[in-house]
Amino acid sequence: QSGWLHSGPQLWLRCVHRQVRVTAGKQREEHRGWLLTVDPVSHSVALVSFGEDGASVQVVLGHAVEHVEVLQEPDPDTEEQLRSLFQPPEPGGPDP
Amino acid sequence: SIPTSAAAESDPQQLQEEQHARSVLRERFLRCLLAMSNKKVRFHMHEKVNVEATFGASDIDVLNFQVSDLHTPIGVQKEALIRSQDVISFTFDV
Amino acid sequence: VGRRSSAAPPAERPGERRAAEMKKLYGQDAAKIMAMEAAMQLVFDRNCDLKQPKYWPVIPLKL
Repeated sequence: QSGWLHSGPQLWLRCVHRQVRVTAGKQREEHRGWLLTVDPVSHSVALVSFGEDGASVQVVLGHAVEHVEVLQEPDPDTEEQLRSLFQPPEPGGPDP
Repeated sequence: SIPTSAAAESDPQQLQEEQHARSVLRERFLRCLLAMSNKKVRFHMHEKVNVEATFGASDIDVLNFQVSDLHTPIGVQKEALIRSQDVISFTFDV
Repeated sequence: VGRRSSAAPPAERPGERRAAEMKKLYGQDAAKIMAMEAAMQLVFDRNCDLKQPKYWPVIPLKL
């Protein structure tokens, strides 16, 4: 966790939209999804999963995050879906 | 109490990039919290407690979640505050 | 019920101090982030005043 936590906002931003695996809590539960954001205040990690009828967002609280592993880049379709989720399309969003 | 990196202390360009990254990440997180209002949210808490509630709002420090119609193992609490320290993760559909 | 993480003594002019901290963290976007946070906190505070929610569980699961 310390590596991820200390990597800082610029590295977190570069990981946005990538698929990650987050290990959380004492039971070391695994959560997998596309990284929506990392809150720089609480260090909470927001993940998106796409299902048959829409998307779901899962937020792992910063204090419970044990480990974060980057798995893969998003394909163009997933990237597009992620972009349109909460953000109004405007310049100044995360760089590719 | 968010530390700025050592590199950013001395390099203005680096500092600006770090500030930009932080602001993009924070804005995305705040939008995510705002999108939750009036949605059904499932909280996965410590001690294997799982509850569902209608989300109201979070304070900006993400210490407390204000929710309604909280379905606890022993009944429904109409209005409640959940401590973020008690929560491992929460999920909602968009 | 403590809802805010930090309550600076009034003598320190918390507003100004916070603005300076925000500027350091978010640079030229500080005003935008502060506005978003203020709006969100306002909803939280208003809902708490209106609905008077009680902590659940009463005793924290994790101390």
